Amino acid sequence: MEVLGKAVALTATCALLAACGGGPGGGGGKISDDKIVLAVLNDQSGVYADLSGKSSVTAVEMAVADWKARLGDDAVTTDIEVVSVDHQNKPDIANSKAQELYDRQRADVILDVPTSSAALAVANVAKSKKKIFMDVGAATTALEGEQCNKYTFHYGYNTYMLANGTGATVTRDGAKNWYLVYPDYAFGQDMEASFTDAVKGAGGSIVRSDPAPFPNDNFSTFLLKAPGLSPKPQVIGTMQAGGDLVNLVKQYNEYKLRDKGIGLAVGLMFITDIHSLGPDALAGTKFTDAWYWNATPENRAWADEFQAKAGKRPSFPNAANYSAATQYLDAVQRAGTDGSDAVVEELEGHAFTDVFAKNGTIRPEDHLLTHDVSLAQVKPKSEVTEPWDYEKILSTIPAAEAFQPVSPDCSMG
Amino acid sequence: MLEQAFNGLVGGAFLALLALGLAVIFGMLGVVNFAHGAFYMLGAFGAYVLLDSYGVSFWVALVAVPLALGVAGVVLERLFVRRLTPLDPLYNFLFTFGLALILQDVVKRQYGVQSQPYPRPAGLDGSVNLGLFDYPAYQVFVLAVSLAVCAAVWVVLARTRLGMIVRAATERPELTRALGIDVGRWVTPVFGFGIALAGLAGVLAAPMRAVNPLMGGDLIVTVFAVVVIGGLGSIFGSVAAGFGIGLVSALGNLYVPALSQTLVFILMAAVLLWRPAGLFGREDAPA
Amino acid sequence: MTKPLASPIVGSVASPVADPAAANDPAAGTPAAGPAPRRPIVARLSTRPPMLAAGLAVALALPWLIYPPVAMDIACWALFAVSLDLLLGFTGLLSFGHAAFWGTSAYVTGLVAVHAGVPFPVAVLGGTAAAALLAVPIGYLSVRLRGIYFAMVTLAFAQLVYFVVNQWRDVTGGENGLQGVPRELFGLDLSDPFFFYYVALPFVLAGLAVAWRIVHSPFGRVLVSIRDNTARAQALGYPTERYKLLAFVLSAALSGLAGGLFAISHGFASLQDVYWTTSGQVVMMVVLGGIGTLWGGAVGAGLVVALDDYLSTAGFQEVGIVTGGIFVVVVLVFRRGIWGTARQLVAPR
Repeated sequence: MEVLGKAVALTATCALLAACGGGPGGGGGKISDDKIVLAVLNDQSGVYADLSGKSSVTAVEMAVADWKARLGDDAVTTDIEVVSVDHQNKPDIANSKAQELYDRQRADVILDVPTSSAALAVANVAKSKKKIFMDVGAATTALEGEQCNKYTFHYGYNTYMLANGTGATVTRDGAKNWYLVYPDYAFGQDMEASFTDAVKGAGGSIVRSDPAPFPNDNFSTFLLKAPGLSPKPQVIGTMQAGGDLVNLVKQYNEYKLRDKGIGLAVGLMFITDIHSLGPDALAGTKFTDAWYWNATPENRAWADEFQAKAGKRPSFPNAANYSAATQYLDAVQRAGTDGSDAVVEELEGHAFTDVFAKNGTIRPEDHLLTHDVSLAQVKPKSEVTEPWDYEKILSTIPAAEAFQPVSPDCSMG
Repeated sequence: MLEQAFNGLVGGAFLALLALGLAVIFGMLGVVNFAHGAFYMLGAFGAYVLLDSYGVSFWVALVAVPLALGVAGVVLERLFVRRLTPLDPLYNFLFTFGLALILQDVVKRQYGVQSQPYPRPAGLDGSVNLGLFDYPAYQVFVLAVSLAVCAAVWVVLARTRLGMIVRAATERPELTRALGIDVGRWVTPVFGFGIALAGLAGVLAAPMRAVNPLMGGDLIVTVFAVVVIGGLGSIFGSVAAGFGIGLVSALGNLYVPALSQTLVFILMAAVLLWRPAGLFGREDAPA
Repeated sequence: MTKPLASPIVGSVASPVADPAAANDPAAGTPAAGPAPRRPIVARLSTRPPMLAAGLAVALALPWLIYPPVAMDIACWALFAVSLDLLLGFTGLLSFGHAAFWGTSAYVTGLVAVHAGVPFPVAVLGGTAAAALLAVPIGYLSVRLRGIYFAMVTLAFAQLVYFVVNQWRDVTGGENGLQGVPRELFGLDLSDPFFFYYVALPFVLAGLAVAWRIVHSPFGRVLVSIRDNTARAQALGYPTERYKLLAFVLSAALSGLAGGLFAISHGFASLQDVYWTTSGQVVMMVVLGGIGTLWGGAVGAGLVVALDDYLSTAGFQEVGIVTGGIFVVVVLVFRRGIWGTARQLVAPR
């Protein structure tokens, strides 16, 4: 055991030495290190890679270029760098990389970070390093709830907005009885709770609510149950995402439930999902969309620019990242410095409209971005005029209605 | 409830086909093929690519894709698996694990993680009246095909010389060799056949399940549990367990949905407590 | 007992089709029929003081060479890999579900730290105990099986643990993970990862020392004999199942120690910690480093963590191809692993 003895002695010595170990350098002067570093931390190799991986890095680069062009010589600095890191959907990698980005690469802001556990981990890092984090990719309301903090912003969408938009409006349109199927993990459970509140609030009722395993490729049990429930549901609300959603919809169509008078409402749908299934499989399905590229001429113009650079149509996380980067840079401009506290002050309460956020406001109480969202419906294939032209916008849900009130769990640290 | 039970059998059909392939490969080579799920995925993607790029119909794919994957399996066995078979089965297990990761990522690189569209084949679009209830025609077809394949395999095992050799090699490998039977020449084709079965399951899955690179990854662990329950050394056991687990899962989803994911593993633990060799496995004396 | 086609890890005397090439397959070096006289296992392990001192020096210098949080990761994974090698290389049992112990400990450590406000070593101890406790029923059910069956069963049990952790959302946070795990040690400020590394390192070293001690003990020798020829060990009167179970529990406990430190270091526990890919990753580290070399796992851990880190920043999307490729190459041509190969190059004939 002399090994251990030596180890202890050496460790004690080193611990004393290490006490002089340095921390990250603080930002001094107007612009720290004379440049602004935007870091995009997201999933470039896993399930979210297609939706918001490298494409969001492109969006952020576009934002920087457009911002520089817009401000020209008035810009507080033109030395702006965009770095990107893949967190592979693993929260521990996200946690380490976030620290590294803030410490080593002198990132002034971290953007994106899908996957709730990763987002929450990065939020904590942002809080301890006192650097800004604007999350686009994750849906958890905990970011503006119990895990909220001064340096974290939740930008784009959350489970409440998704559930409420679809649940309330579809109920008001006439579907009073719902059968909910949700994946049995945090996201699904959050969505189910929000959906239930939204439906009941609009005067509907939940006939039954079943958790499904996650991931799952066989939803037959649930789908076969639906017509037999009493009272018979007019719509199935599904909270599945990604591959599970595709499975469910395929099987929903097989059992011809739409013909039996049971419609389908989807909690979370990305345009990439519609593409996977083909519009006919989902034709008529209603869902809440944070942003659609073909909704307005302004959106379309931006989408054309994006397509030229990225080779495909943008998803809403792409647009949201563009917007977040732009708003961050504008806030730096207004503050005259990239010091975190000053920029946070400029971001809080800022009301604006840009290509992504219509009637957007960054709430000072919990740093949630509220903005108008749309109730969308999938077009049948016959109405699709060009690639990715899958959605018909039915109505706009104003910001105040779309997002939840400030949570009592949030106390800005 | 009957409809749900039928439903469970259809789900079990996939498990049975995959478990059968796994059991056959294990029986002949002692290799636990971690890449089985990846070949299932390749089967589905093969069907998709043939349709999307070459307009080849589902029916042709149903034959062509398993055949192609069977050939790939043969090549794999000759080049790599053969080198590792004389060693501890651990090495082949790890090799197939690495292979699974590679195959998954290659497909991901080429096609992304999003699911690819694949329609149901024409002719099987509608429903079939099964007396007590209507049921999607395609799912009846899947059940029929897998039962037919399992039955065919059983016939081969029970009635042909090859079948006799496979059974003997599975249950008493050293004795078989000691009797002078050349097991070796059958190893490669049987391996290929096992892979082909995985591919067949994949093609069958394409119209009714999401076609994405990750579709095999989570399924393989369930298939392992199925095979342990049935008894790794028993081919019949794997198939029976496959259908059985499908049935139990569906009913479990109906009555205790919260437990459904864990059900397979709870069953596995129970079986291990009661009969460590699996329901149909043989309690062999140590070699 | 279920029959394996070949006995665990190294060529078995019992196989009638004794292929000399197979019998000589080096994984931990027990040549069944080699020309050179067998050197005792204990001496073949690099226990020479210079090697140990070098390893210690590396461990102490690591945060100077590598970003400190990553260095801490390497230390935790190294302990995890070494504990797995205890089971794999020395007892001949491949557990493909060790994430169950690493992860359970991570969560329990986190929960104790969050709710009880005790110094972090106490929390880690709690996690370690939880892992050891979990290993008892799992081990009891699993050690009846051998070889590859054991691997499959442990994988399936680990999935069970994963689902339970996921479902028990109120306690574990489910998909969101267990956030905000504090680092407490009598009021010391441990927020600087550089400093924390040195505070946590003694625990890692203690774990490694325990593993070393187990291997170099009569108990360890029995384990090796069980690995090489279970029937013979049984014939000699050893209750092999009990030994295997004990080895399993010890290995799980050390994995738990590693996992608990990991949770404290990161400040959270997530589902990733109990997912089967984590089990696969630690197996890869051991295989890469060299099965049965004990310290090979640490080398493998260092390489894999560094590689992961590099790939993240390099923007390389196909991590699986690299990881899978390494597995395939190592298994096909490089079975001794890095440490094993290095040792063989250096060993006097």
